[in-house]
Amino acid sequence: MAVTETVATTHQTATPTSPRPRRRRGDRKGAYWLYLIPGAVLFALVIGAPLLGTVYFSLTKWSGVGDPTWVGLDNYQHLLHDQVFWASFRNTLAMLVAMVVVPTLLGLLLAAVLFDVIGRRFKPRTAAALRAAFYLPQVLPVVVAGIVWGWILRPDGALNGLLDSIGLGALRHDWLGDPGTALPAVMAVMIWVQIGYPVVVFMAALQRVDPELYEAAEVDGATWFHRFRAITLPQIRPETFVVALTATIAALKVFGPIFALTRGGPENATNVPSYFAYYTFFKKLQVGYGSAISTVLTLIIVVVAVLFIWLQARSERRDRGI
Amino acid sequence: MHRFGRLAAAVALAATAATTIVACGDGGGGDGSEAKTLKLWHYESANSAMGIAWDRAIQIFKDEHPGVEVQFERKAFEQIQQNAGMIINSSEGPDIMEYNKGNATAGLLSSQGLLTDLSAEADKRGWAGKLSPSLQTTARYDDKGVMGSGNWYGVPNYGEYVTVYYNKDLFDKYGVKVPTTMAEMTAAMDTFVGKGVTPLGMGGAEYPAGQLFYQLALAKADRQFVNNYELYKNPVDFKADPLKYGAETFADWVRKGYVAKDSASLKAEDMGTAFISGKAPMIVSGSWWYGRFKAEMKANWDSFLFPGNTLQAGSSGNLWVVPQTSKAKSLAYDFIDITLRPEIQDLIGNNGGVPVAGDPSKITDPKDRKLIENFNTVSAQDGLAFYPDWPVPGYYDVLVSGFQSLINGSKSPDQVLDSIAKPYQDGVKEITGK
Repeated sequence: MAVTETVATTHQTATPTSPRPRRRRGDRKGAYWLYLIPGAVLFALVIGAPLLGTVYFSLTKWSGVGDPTWVGLDNYQHLLHDQVFWASFRNTLAMLVAMVVVPTLLGLLLAAVLFDVIGRRFKPRTAAALRAAFYLPQVLPVVVAGIVWGWILRPDGALNGLLDSIGLGALRHDWLGDPGTALPAVMAVMIWVQIGYPVVVFMAALQRVDPELYEAAEVDGATWFHRFRAITLPQIRPETFVVALTATIAALKVFGPIFALTRGGPENATNVPSYFAYYTFFKKLQVGYGSAISTVLTLIIVVVAVLFIWLQARSERRDRGI
Repeated sequence: MHRFGRLAAAVALAATAATTIVACGDGGGGDGSEAKTLKLWHYESANSAMGIAWDRAIQIFKDEHPGVEVQFERKAFEQIQQNAGMIINSSEGPDIMEYNKGNATAGLLSSQGLLTDLSAEADKRGWAGKLSPSLQTTARYDDKGVMGSGNWYGVPNYGEYVTVYYNKDLFDKYGVKVPTTMAEMTAAMDTFVGKGVTPLGMGGAEYPAGQLFYQLALAKADRQFVNNYELYKNPVDFKADPLKYGAETFADWVRKGYVAKDSASLKAEDMGTAFISGKAPMIVSGSWWYGRFKAEMKANWDSFLFPGNTLQAGSSGNLWVVPQTSKAKSLAYDFIDITLRPEIQDLIGNNGGVPVAGDPSKITDPKDRKLIENFNTVSAQDGLAFYPDWPVPGYYDVLVSGFQSLINGSKSPDQVLDSIAKPYQDGVKEITGK
């Protein structure tokens, strides 16, 4: 039966009713799909299937061994009332500040200064060397960076040593051990980790801006700040969107630095959703609940990403309209 | 997210494998007395006490089983810890392996029928006679996977316990004598504080704080409390002694400067290195440090039992388990039996480990001998009280967080007891349904 249908369909499409060019385009489209197969297979294996698995496990109660018990939406209901979960999301807001807001703003400024001021007054090599220095933390494995910062911030570490040596010993503190200072300390480390990324992207973006725009503005008597606001910012808006989007996703799923620095402590002061999911999944052996946390986190990331892309598209449309 | 996704897939695959293999496991396993290979996995390093002793055990096994090949693979602790469920369900898994004791590990696997019941062998070969009751606790699990009763699913080979390590040179320098009572202990610490030295090394970001709290609580505890807290025999009141005493005394020790107020973010490794470098006169920690101190410490040092306590934090070490899928069960039992022989047990002791059935008179180094004598004293008086984070999965982080707050002074003992009580009660409910 199915065979007959296929033959019938084939026969139908093969009839010379449709014009030739369209059929050729259809064939070419088919060929494009072929190129997508390897990517699609990898996506299905590495992302699609595990994602479905996670969603399934989030609807069960399971210790990781034996058979999962179906519990429907119980895990999600529990999640709504779980204070640690909400605390971890509040900390995510702090991570967004430390990984998106501050680095993007600071990165814009640094990139503009490096490109405009340092790059012009000194040799371009100086700007390149400084750019590399800013980017270095991005190259370091995050766990290595975390361990080194752990040494710096520990009670007998370099920071307290420095404070002592400049006569500010009264400010000595157990930076990561006090719930009041642990989150700001982790935020400072994250700014340090993150700053190089926008600097590099924005400097690359600045190179594509037409220098004539700046020259014309200069002739008209525009100050550096005027040029920055009227030319630099609008010209590199697409890159700003990309940086903000990727950094937001990184902030929402941040795990490594928390694992290396504080393990979410003290008193959940630095807990974040992905560490909380890991802890629930592996340490408490609540695979179902851990999966529910991961699923919610994935959902939030997807929504945020779609929102960003929509905003970017709208902004581009508006630009074209102008 | 992806890491969890991938893991979920791996776990799903393992689960599928589990159902398939368990379904045919009963018939497939068998006694395996005809087997010609013994696949053995453990995760002790080659130069550790257990690594050395078990190498010798493998040699003896080979001598006594000519024609049987031993396929030994040294694994990483994390490798076994996180993948055990998958490993023992696989046809490529070992015939015998070292595995973590406790409800969340050996208990969980035994409750799912993935480990071989060793009760008959334990009777036949007299293993039960070699292990004290508190050592047997971690070898036996009931049908829910709760330790302390039921069948034998693992056999421990070595023990561990929490003790006090002290720097003899610093004790001499400040004229402090080795304390034998709690009053002498606090007097000794007062002396150090008076000289501007923090007497107790601490690592608040990891296990040491929880263990000190537990040691302090055990001063007011009896076996019934341990059974209630660790084996869920009866509900535990966190607002009453011994836990109340433990938390209040801990806070008192911080207030008096016995424990540094800025040690909340330090790791156990920091505490150990502070002791090795001669900065901390004393630390309260486990026998697992012993070999390291022996190898690395330049100052004179020794250990003494936490004064005044009959009960001490400690337990059997990890277990030999025989997966249900083992194809050489009979050979695996023979190997376990060899590791409990005096020769192997003495070898563990002579290399800085704590044998479960060791004879101190056979131990040559006086310091090694003392470590083992102290363990035997605790074990003989049924004094091993396990560890404070054992009762429920994930409790380790709860305790760390709670006692960090006591060290940095952000919470009162009462608030800390509240914060550690609920996760305990929720966890116990999860396990026992009560």
